[in-house]
Amino acid sequence: MIKFPPYLKKGDCIGITCPAGYMPKEKANTCIETLQQWGLQVMVGKTLGSSATNYFSGTDEQRLHELQAMLDDESINAILCGRGGYGVGRIIDQLDFTTFKKKPKWIIGYSDITVLHAHIFNQYKIATLHAPMAAAFNQGGASNIYIQYIHKALFGKKVKYTSAAHTYNQLGIAQGELVGGNLTLLTNIIGTKSDINTRNKILFIEDVGEYIYGIDRMLYQLKRSGKLATLKGLIIGQFTDIKDTDRPFGKTVYEAINDVVKEYTYPICFAYPISHSNENIAIKVGGTYELKVGKKTVQLLEV
Amino acid sequence: MDRKNFIATLLPLTAASNAIGIATGFNETPLSAIKKIPPYLKKGDTIGITCPAGYITAAEIEPAVHTLKEWGYTVKIGNTVGKRDGTFGGTDEERKNDVQQLLDDENIKAILFARGGYGVVRIIDAINFKKFIANPKWLIGFSDITILHSHIHQLFGIATVHAKMCNSFIKDWSIAEPTQIESIQSIQQCINGTTMQYNAPFNSSNKLGKATGILVGGNLKTIESLSGSKSDITTHGKILFVEDTGEYLYSIDRMFWNLKRSGKLNELAGLIIGGFKIKKEESDSEAFGKTLEQIVLEKISNAKFPVCFDFAVGHQKNNMALKCGVKHQLTVTANHTTLKEII
Repeated sequence: MIKFPPYLKKGDCIGITCPAGYMPKEKANTCIETLQQWGLQVMVGKTLGSSATNYFSGTDEQRLHELQAMLDDESINAILCGRGGYGVGRIIDQLDFTTFKKKPKWIIGYSDITVLHAHIFNQYKIATLHAPMAAAFNQGGASNIYIQYIHKALFGKKVKYTSAAHTYNQLGIAQGELVGGNLTLLTNIIGTKSDINTRNKILFIEDVGEYIYGIDRMLYQLKRSGKLATLKGLIIGQFTDIKDTDRPFGKTVYEAINDVVKEYTYPICFAYPISHSNENIAIKVGGTYELKVGKKTVQLLEV
Repeated sequence: MDRKNFIATLLPLTAASNAIGIATGFNETPLSAIKKIPPYLKKGDTIGITCPAGYITAAEIEPAVHTLKEWGYTVKIGNTVGKRDGTFGGTDEERKNDVQQLLDDENIKAILFARGGYGVVRIIDAINFKKFIANPKWLIGFSDITILHSHIHQLFGIATVHAKMCNSFIKDWSIAEPTQIESIQSIQQCINGTTMQYNAPFNSSNKLGKATGILVGGNLKTIESLSGSKSDITTHGKILFVEDTGEYLYSIDRMFWNLKRSGKLNELAGLIIGGFKIKKEESDSEAFGKTLEQIVLEKISNAKFPVCFDFAVGHQKNNMALKCGVKHQLTVTANHTTLKEII
């Protein structure tokens, strides 16, 4: 059984840390203000707006210790990752989840944070929140619907997400635990102890800035490592800033994905609002959802 | 052989054999009877050329055809040469059929892949290796062809040649650099039965030592992308070589974490780092802050096995032909590095 961390209430404390790439403090200001407007206390880690001069928000030790401290601190009720980028894979095996296992809290983020989602789901069967991070709050703050979804998810309100149909959708209804995240990271952790078993799950994937052939190769990896055959359903998120080679691949990214997955009979939806664009709903990795892919709309509802 | 390796090497073959055996009624080649080293080529033998991944024109393979003939071989050009479907040298079906035909034709003693690019993974599971297992032949290529090296090593234990392909053969030998000439000539040496030996310059990040093991490896990104599939290599007790091109340092770091976290760096006999053409970050603030050497060494800080950098393998002029699946000895000293084939 999946364990759900306690939902937040006013007065609770949320920690912000950057376990991967560097983020200037000012980019998180709207996020901090919004969280405070929600009635939360905000604990800002030193990795946000650190003095690091390279790619990372701090050394491996600094990032590790701050995330560890926030996992262990009982006065912190949720952890929002400031941003993704790259870096969680460098510290994941040194994190100690002993306290977190006993007293789970919501961990929020996406992209590189996929490693945390997958690792925690696979190792500890604790739900996490796949959702926008600090910079997304700059697009309208609390008035942004996708930011409001984070609020609803953290405070325990279930949302029925309804979105548009897509040419390649395969109709049907599926129910299962939701797992997934960034495709590059999901494939990068195959063969490691963070790798997820996708049997009977609804899998969601998204990616940004990749070549079409690279996406195609990753889809083949999912297929050849047995991750697609026994799914209940598949959510193809948005693939944004997709690149092509000088010798064009010859298909659009969704065409390429469709060619790999069309043999399966479970429901599949395309260009779903899980992505590196503004459209990125808050969904619980490990939560049980019903996916309804209909002729006119796609519905995703936590059950 | 420990149980894990035993299962990894034996099971997939059994599964494959069953599928083929029942359908055809032929006796399958038992694992122990597989010839691990394909017969070396002699003058007059035929080499086939095919495009299992990216497309290439007939004109572009001319230098290779010319050189192979000069070496005394006959050349059979597969029908994917000159074909194109998007980025590919023909549709999946066409590329698979061409590889299959050359694999099954007993008169063809080696297959030189025209070029890499991307595409082998799309056809690998459709290829029937039954005749190849009964009558192995040399398969030559690198980059995307790493999938064939890994798949064939892991499932059948048959040696292959990691080397330059048709698109890198020399048009004008009079202006070619010595390392380029040496790299092309090493292909001939590999397939004519010469016992191979290679030298590499000293690099201050090398870890000294001497090791013996079966040589495996290839393109790092491709090796990572096989993780979890039946083509995935086990590296226990082996000498692993890796190379890559056009990747950012952070991405190379992430790939080495995949190797480490999937256990591929734990019990190596030795590690060979070939050429890495690194893509530069867009700005200084994006600088990764670690060199390739640091990225590699931090993953194996407790390792006792020898490690060498700057080995002549990769997407570069000095890309020596290496026999994958064959036992080699790696010696890394304070002066230089040698890798030699052990008979």
